[in-house]
Amino acid sequence: MLNAIDKELLKGVADLEDIPKGAYNIRKNGELMGREVSANINIETNEAGNGIIITIKPGTQNESVHIPVILSQAGLHDVVYNTFIIGEDSNVTIVAGCGIHCGSSQSEGHSGIHEFRIGKNAQISYVEKHLAIGEGEGKRTLNPTTKIFMEENAHAEMELTQIGGVDEAKRMNEAELGPGCSLLVSEKVLTDGTQNAESKNELILKGEDSRANLVSRSVIRGDSNQDFFVQLTALAKCFGHIECDAIIMDNGTNQTMPALKAEHPGAELTHEASIGKIADDQLIKLMSLGVSYDDAVNKIIQGFLQ
Amino acid sequence: MLELKNITFTAPGTDVEPPRTIIDRLSHTFETGKLYAVTGPNGSGKTTVAKIIMGINAQASGSVLFEDRDISDWSISERAKAGIAYAFQHSARFKGITFRDLLAISLGTDDEDKLVEIIARVGICSMDFLDKPVDAKLSGGEIKKIELATVIATNPKLAIYDEPDTGIDLWTIDPMVELLKKEKEQYGTTTIVVSHNRTFLEAADQLILLRRGKIAYSGDLEGALPMLRDLSICTFTDTCEGVADVECYR
Repeated sequence: MLNAIDKELLKGVADLEDIPKGAYNIRKNGELMGREVSANINIETNEAGNGIIITIKPGTQNESVHIPVILSQAGLHDVVYNTFIIGEDSNVTIVAGCGIHCGSSQSEGHSGIHEFRIGKNAQISYVEKHLAIGEGEGKRTLNPTTKIFMEENAHAEMELTQIGGVDEAKRMNEAELGPGCSLLVSEKVLTDGTQNAESKNELILKGEDSRANLVSRSVIRGDSNQDFFVQLTALAKCFGHIECDAIIMDNGTNQTMPALKAEHPGAELTHEASIGKIADDQLIKLMSLGVSYDDAVNKIIQGFLQ
Repeated sequence: MLELKNITFTAPGTDVEPPRTIIDRLSHTFETGKLYAVTGPNGSGKTTVAKIIMGINAQASGSVLFEDRDISDWSISERAKAGIAYAFQHSARFKGITFRDLLAISLGTDDEDKLVEIIARVGICSMDFLDKPVDAKLSGGEIKKIELATVIATNPKLAIYDEPDTGIDLWTIDPMVELLKKEKEQYGTTTIVVSHNRTFLEAADQLILLRRGKIAYSGDLEGALPMLRDLSICTFTDTCEGVADVECYR
């Protein structure tokens, strides 16, 4: 049964009001809380017992699988290794994410390594949210790693979000794209107080006509810090674009380092990066529509992170 | 409905330049439901006056009265809530905010029917604009149309348009002028258009010609023509003033 904290965390990370329909795997405090498989989606514990293998049958269409992790046990640092095997010609949505509730002075953390093997012509939409709540003073740590291997003409959209409460985050995203593949990564991170978040990204465009687009949006409040690194490497005729924007509020600090590397003459790689405060003309425009200064700030940040 | 009383605005000085008076003891009364065109050479203070009315620029002295209330110290938001709206010459570009979002803020509701209604009222924006992000990818014409729509959606008592034709194609200027006239006639909107475009000047009930931060002329277009012609010949203050060994002998 889900208690009130579980429900709040599930709502925050996976937009779930209750146990989801269809395939799911809910992990709570390092243990399996509930699992359901479907005719096309199988979930089983891996051999090492430190994670799960989610297998999507070839040709599966418009199905979804939820695999949220929730933590509320003081002192626990949970580590999982999940593998997703996405069958050819399938089209699925995967909703992941981790929610931490910290109620004591002891630290809590989760390190999730997600490996995706996406078959030919398969399409996935991956939504991952990270959130930490609770009155406790213990440090909340979330260190996700995403490894993506895409076969011919596969398509993936990854929406990675960390909104609030996480004291320390170290993210690593790695992807290898085969011929004709397309990958869209959208990362949104909000930090506050003295929180620190680091995101390292290595995308390799291996196949001809592969495309990658990475969009990063950072909002840095209080005295927090965010560092963003991305390297886009082209090994074939391909297209890649990086767009990273950081809004600094208060005394936040940021380091953004986009890097492009072409090892093929047909590569087209571009990047745009910006760090700065909210633009005055945006604030004035919204205020001229009758919005107060504070509401204008909130609306601009909400839109930026949407 | 709007009264500017003895307004002075001074641009702060820099290490190399002393403070500069942009608006010099300017006074004018604007009547309800009239369309005013404010024109004048570059640097004459047109946009500065418009921004003072909206509260974007703060006057050094003088006062702004709106519907008999002294709003000189009101914030931009307070003036907007009181019924003043402003279309910017250079519209803000956002990331993650769509035309729908801005329109909903202007209207105070995200009701689809109401949004469609306002687009129909504005006329110059197509329905497929609605979900366009208001970002750097929009063309100059698209962003101006969006700017106009967000102003009209507030149902303003006083609408200020700063060079609304910037980036607009020739075929849209006439419909835009007609739109502002229609808004004035149907909703009684007092309208101030800052423009150099003759189409807007011709549409105005009253033309205000600014020069060096003062009103050089106020009246109909015909009366202003000699001065406009003169200004079009001599641009000394814009192009020559301050240049060594150059003087105006006219």
